[in-house]
Amino acid sequence: MNPVMPAPVPVPLPAPVWLLQLLLVFTFVLHLVPMNLLAGGSVMLSLSSFLGRRDLRHREFARRASRVVPPVVAFTITFGVAPLLFLQLLYGQLFYTSSVLIAWAWLAVVLLVMLGYYGIYWFGMQHEELGPRAVWVILAAAFLFILVAFIFTQNMSFMLRPQHFYSQYLKGEVGTSLGPLTTASAARLAHFLVAAMAVSGLGVALLSRAWRREAPELAEWARGYGVKWFMAGTGVEILVGLWFLFSLPQEIRGMFLGSDKLSTAILVVAIVLALLALVAAPKSPAASSVAIVGTISLMAVIRHLVRVTYLHPYFDPRTLPVQGQWPVFVLFAVLLVGGLATVGWMVYVFFRPVATRATSE
Amino acid sequence: MLGGGMIIGIIAILHVFVSHFGVGGGLFLPVTERKAYRENNPALLEYVKSHSKFFVLVVLVFGAVSGVGIWWSIGLVNPEATATLIHVFVWGWAIEWVFFIVEIAAAFIYYYGWDRLDPQTHLTVGWIYLGAAWASLFVINGILTFMLTPGRWLEMRSFTSAFFNPGMLPSCVVRTAVSVALAGVYALLTAAAVRDVALRSEVVQYAARWLLAGTLFIPPAGLWYISTLPPMAREISMGAAPAVTIFAGLSIFFSALVVAFTYFGPYRHPRYFNLTFAFLLAVLALSTTGVTEWVREAVRKPYIIYNYMYANTLRLEDVNRVRQQGILASARFVRRHAVDPQALVESGRDIFRVQCASCHTVNGYNSIRFAVKGWSKEMIEYQLLHLNELKGFMPPFLGTEAERKALEAWLASLNPQPRVQEPQPPGEKAETQASRPAGESKP
Repeated sequence: MNPVMPAPVPVPLPAPVWLLQLLLVFTFVLHLVPMNLLAGGSVMLSLSSFLGRRDLRHREFARRASRVVPPVVAFTITFGVAPLLFLQLLYGQLFYTSSVLIAWAWLAVVLLVMLGYYGIYWFGMQHEELGPRAVWVILAAAFLFILVAFIFTQNMSFMLRPQHFYSQYLKGEVGTSLGPLTTASAARLAHFLVAAMAVSGLGVALLSRAWRREAPELAEWARGYGVKWFMAGTGVEILVGLWFLFSLPQEIRGMFLGSDKLSTAILVVAIVLALLALVAAPKSPAASSVAIVGTISLMAVIRHLVRVTYLHPYFDPRTLPVQGQWPVFVLFAVLLVGGLATVGWMVYVFFRPVATRATSE
Repeated sequence: MLGGGMIIGIIAILHVFVSHFGVGGGLFLPVTERKAYRENNPALLEYVKSHSKFFVLVVLVFGAVSGVGIWWSIGLVNPEATATLIHVFVWGWAIEWVFFIVEIAAAFIYYYGWDRLDPQTHLTVGWIYLGAAWASLFVINGILTFMLTPGRWLEMRSFTSAFFNPGMLPSCVVRTAVSVALAGVYALLTAAAVRDVALRSEVVQYAARWLLAGTLFIPPAGLWYISTLPPMAREISMGAAPAVTIFAGLSIFFSALVVAFTYFGPYRHPRYFNLTFAFLLAVLALSTTGVTEWVREAVRKPYIIYNYMYANTLRLEDVNRVRQQGILASARFVRRHAVDPQALVESGRDIFRVQCASCHTVNGYNSIRFAVKGWSKEMIEYQLLHLNELKGFMPPFLGTEAERKALEAWLASLNPQPRVQEPQPPGEKAETQASRPAGESKP
């Protein structure tokens, strides 16, 4: 059956498709890193806040880490804007249709994120005052963020299945549906969330370095604790990854199991990097992080290949007219470099006085 | 029940109220911080610190997330227009995104940096925040004004002709002035909460000056902006559409109230200023923002992108095709792609969904059932034939004659006891409707 979906708008794309796809994947990786730290970190902090009622180390860990989370939320949101922009540009007619069909859930994302974000601030700024109640605040925030992840996964999976749009519409479920709840979308959500737990473990191991001078014992403990999360998470992730792979339609799964050499190679390298990260983690969380960012980047590429293949029978953005807006693109590229340099400078001066203070003590 | 427009409106008005503070507050913080250093006034510096916390909680969370919220809601309510804007302006948005990153990073470092950075560096971070925040206003303002005054883009179809549209510059000046004024409104809120009486009076009066200074520039810049509007947009706000005119009047009235209250309250008598007064002033300022933005949106009707796309997402370039082939033929999510004489009312309902539901709900916001209440069939037909002439803010009905008849049948079925005829079951009504001689479709 021919899928029912709107036509793309008759305005040409402002850059070639490959460039837009590259930016889509690149900015999505930027989003994935803080997003993983947020989803996994809020779960880790919930657990530590709970255990912290009895265990001093967990309590101190939660207290210190609580201050770091607000910027993580900010950058998850900010870095999420760009990939969604390029997604709408390339696959708008699919994305808007699936969004409209799940409109209320999709719109709720805004409210859920806002509530979760305020929860994170509450947890961080009023940590002492909240006392044992802090666990409920962070648990609620973690729940809200996971709910957001669920809605995102549903929408991103639904937009790949335009053949279901019309039947969903005919069911009279415009706006109130959650999209088809399939094994593939469940496995996809699990794949994201378990990865988030693992990456957050590594994030905690890295963060602990900042506490080495002020609280060496806690830093040492947190490093080990984070590495344990990472190793356990990665172990589980391999199983969940297999589940996800086998939940995909045969044709797409086959691509990563040999029928397409490049796709298979990318998956193999991604897994090898994850295994290297696993081996490196106990000795050097920093080296492990470099490897895992490699895995995350390749996984984002794989995700893109899966999307392209899912949509292949229905839509290929390479068929759209292109009229490059090169001068504005160059301006964007220059500003991006300048903007990131400015952020780099601010981060540098922010951490500089602490180092000076520490050496003068 | 809630129309899409209402959802966008609620999110957008709150966002505008907060995001302009995000820019104005970005000026207020470093300027006031520098003042505190120069006057060697530690109490004032303490106030700036506490204000920066309030700023972060309001702007970084509500401002940022509600901004994303506008995008979410326009994509849901008007995907076609959103997609068009994204195609035209993707690099503009990408540039704004860069400024957004700098803005967020600078705000955090400014807020967390009070005890970590030396005063000069801290101030520099404040200025960086201001630069990035204002630059993001500059970019988004150009995209927003494009919708009302697309200018030369209609012929040239280039990014620069779209961005540097006639309304861009005056609107940017208005919004900058509004930002400064809103910095004062929010500063009055935190100033009123200062415990020390002497400091409170000082800061209250200082904040009031910001509000008054900002509002000083709004009328001339506003007139300049209005001068760039399409003539029909001006007419709508000046009498052609009573509701819009009333709201335009309210906008001026509320602004005048804000200025009068500020002048006679916190500016002249800062000692008597308290949190309740500050809160009322903020509500009044929010109301001003609300009605003004509402008018700005309303005068764009019947278009969503002026002279390019109607509010119901039909492009002007498609008008002739739709008139000949019908609206159902090219619509995707409809049960029938042509009027079914056996199910005229149902066909009419599909046409309503495709052509009218961007602005109307059946029973809720801008209810169509309410709008056609008491209308005879002849009246409905007359209205549909002259929609754009009778109601300047509405697009013409576009479709074949059979489609118009079907829509008429559905509209007539909404209120079971119309004034001029006996009650009939919808099916029969539809048939009688179809057998009536047809009028001419207006071009």
